[in-house]
Amino acid sequence: MKRLKKFGRNLYSNRIWLLMTLPGLIWFAIFAYLPMFGQVIAFKDFRYDADGFFASVKNSDWVGFENFRFLFSTNDAFIITRNTVLYNLLFIVLGLILAVGVAIILSEITKQKLAKVYQTGMLFPHFLSWVVVSYFVFTFLSMDRGMINGFLEHFGFEAISWYNEASFWPYILVAVSQWKGVGFSSIVYLAAIVGIDRSYYEAAMIDGASKWQQIWHVTIPMIMPIIIILTILNIGNIFSADFGLFYQIPRDSGPLYSVTNVIDTYVYRGLMTMGDIGMSTAAGLYQATVGFVLILIANYIVRKVDEDNALF
Amino acid sequence: MKKLMMFFMVLLGVTGLITGCSNNEESNAQGENSDETVELKWYLIGTPQPDTEKVMEEVNEYTKEKINATIDLNLIDWGDYDERMQVITASAEEYDIAFTSSWANNYSLNARKGAFLELNDLLDEHGKEMKEAINPQFIEGAKIDGSLYAIPTNKELGQQAVLSFNNELVEKHNLDVSDVNSIEDLEPLLEVIKQNEPDVTPIATFDAYLPFDFILQGEMPFAFRLDGNTDEVVNVYEEDVTMDTLKTMHDYYQKGYIRSDAATSTDSWPLEVANWFVRKELYQPYAEKVWSRSAGYEIVAQPLHEPYIFNGSVTGSMQAISATSQNPEKAMEFLNLLNTDPYLRNLLDKGIEGEHYEEVEDGKIKDLPARVEKFNMPSFAIGNQLILKLYEDDPEDKWEAFEEFNDKSIPSPALGFYFDTNPVRTEIAAISNVTSEYAPALLKGAVDPEEYLPKFNDKLYEAGLQKVLDEIQKQYDEWKKQHGE
Repeated sequence: MKRLKKFGRNLYSNRIWLLMTLPGLIWFAIFAYLPMFGQVIAFKDFRYDADGFFASVKNSDWVGFENFRFLFSTNDAFIITRNTVLYNLLFIVLGLILAVGVAIILSEITKQKLAKVYQTGMLFPHFLSWVVVSYFVFTFLSMDRGMINGFLEHFGFEAISWYNEASFWPYILVAVSQWKGVGFSSIVYLAAIVGIDRSYYEAAMIDGASKWQQIWHVTIPMIMPIIIILTILNIGNIFSADFGLFYQIPRDSGPLYSVTNVIDTYVYRGLMTMGDIGMSTAAGLYQATVGFVLILIANYIVRKVDEDNALF
Repeated sequence: MKKLMMFFMVLLGVTGLITGCSNNEESNAQGENSDETVELKWYLIGTPQPDTEKVMEEVNEYTKEKINATIDLNLIDWGDYDERMQVITASAEEYDIAFTSSWANNYSLNARKGAFLELNDLLDEHGKEMKEAINPQFIEGAKIDGSLYAIPTNKELGQQAVLSFNNELVEKHNLDVSDVNSIEDLEPLLEVIKQNEPDVTPIATFDAYLPFDFILQGEMPFAFRLDGNTDEVVNVYEEDVTMDTLKTMHDYYQKGYIRSDAATSTDSWPLEVANWFVRKELYQPYAEKVWSRSAGYEIVAQPLHEPYIFNGSVTGSMQAISATSQNPEKAMEFLNLLNTDPYLRNLLDKGIEGEHYEEVEDGKIKDLPARVEKFNMPSFAIGNQLILKLYEDDPEDKWEAFEEFNDKSIPSPALGFYFDTNPVRTEIAAISNVTSEYAPALLKGAVDPEEYLPKFNDKLYEAGLQKVLDEIQKQYDEWKKQHGE
């Protein structure tokens, strides 16, 4: 009773803050938690029932892990898992270095107006859809009318059939993904850097620290908590690839599959002909579960090393 | 702990809100009384048109009088239709009629999963006139294990691939296309074009024509042969004819008759641009006229084979009644009227006379600008085409020619056999992936079949091809036994 009273008082005294979180909470409840019940479809042979969605779910037969089998049954399963994990690892590491680097550079530009121009310019690609970006890339790489082949031929080299040569694509995909993403991910770091108390830098300067030393010994340690939090969260998505990047940018070209096929594109291509809800749910559940476990592991390691920086 | 409590309270509230809403809807629906005018919700593929509402007012006035029902027509754009209908079906929304076909809102999958109502009895009770108006081959061919799940559109019955030529170039270089019956026959013509017309790509990128009845859509390898042993399911990519045809295609590719980026290009080769010499199309009577009209120059066609009736051509455009429909009888009455009543059919297709079209002599019509701009409906997707008014430049015997074409179309060996993919879902997912990796480049001639076909087949077997072939053969033999032959 006493606890309940205390709980009520607590609610009341925080009412303004709770009210502020309400829209977000409702959003999460409806779009993230409520659909979670739908995960049971992953274990069912989904059939429609005239009495509505819930009746469909209830009346479909249980099939155990049958729906998951297509993710592991072939040699392609290894390739798609390898591609997904390796690309994402690369994106996490490279994305971190580039984003932090860009944030530091932007924060060091003394002309505020110029810094804003750069920042906006780098942010802009983030708002383009992958389909649009795929046409940008195509203008560079097109076989007969592409800019790069134009250069190559002009200087007497042979034109390259870019959409048939798998060996170039790991670089192209990484470059395109970083070009599109770096502006946006550097915002958080820039905000963190701007928030660092100036007196740290003044103290460092008095001690005779150079610019490099200031960055290395003040800026980076100060934003370390943010870096760790964001990295742990990114690790959770390591099994989910950006569908647009891997499907639209290579223009769904068959000869490139060995380096562009990831779990998401595999699921899409596999289920396009059948539209099987059970199997697509299974794929999503598999990715989310592995991601969740990885977050726990990453967080566990961080906590062992430095408890203050752990997420939970 | 506190946060958790809070969260569950909110969650409960939200769930209550949602279930509350749906309960209300239900009670409304049940409150309807059979004498009241029923509103039928109809999903149709096609770009939404500005004048839909205006025309539907007229339609509703007419249907209210005839069958005491009004129509709530919802057009969903071509590219979105398939996906939107999947969501609508999965959420068990209460609608009455929906467009379905072999290529969008898949007919056999939805029917097998219970999304559509079985129509055999309903058709006999409320659709007698329609049953007589539609070529019986459509209705027989669309039956899945003896049950009909959607009303096919009465149109051209057979599917016939043709090569169509840019006649200006044919005449300019004095070419003779009348002997061309296959892709191989094109060689000498292509050579002339390549040498004399530097601005023309001889072949407007197309997939090689392969003479099979494909069981699943697109490039998937499972098919029946059209002659020889037609009862055995085969892997298309192991057949000799495939190797030969693809070799020819690759030869054309190497000689520069096909664009170098054919495999990944999404160029649609619009007819208005005369930068091509030959292309592959699906034929219907007088199609050359239609193509020439939209191209602005003459186009001639040469058939690649006799017209065949496939599952895909029979189920190319249909209207299904939803399993969730509250008024299936009324929906059937409406479809019956739509497919037999020329006034209603033309109203939904051509719009309002005097506003969207005008009558010229002997019942023929001419589009007014408003039809093109504000009421451009997907004619073939709506219903019976053979009761549509003719345009002023249409040949008098257009619909007779359709009937003739339908009579000479040959039923394919597996017409009416619908493969149930459920027992081999895993394998099909894997095979889909392998197929989309290899087939597009091979079929367009971009890669050497001698090198890539064996690789492709190896990967197909790795993905479980044999298991699927066996399953199809098993189902087919059973089906064949039931249909006694």
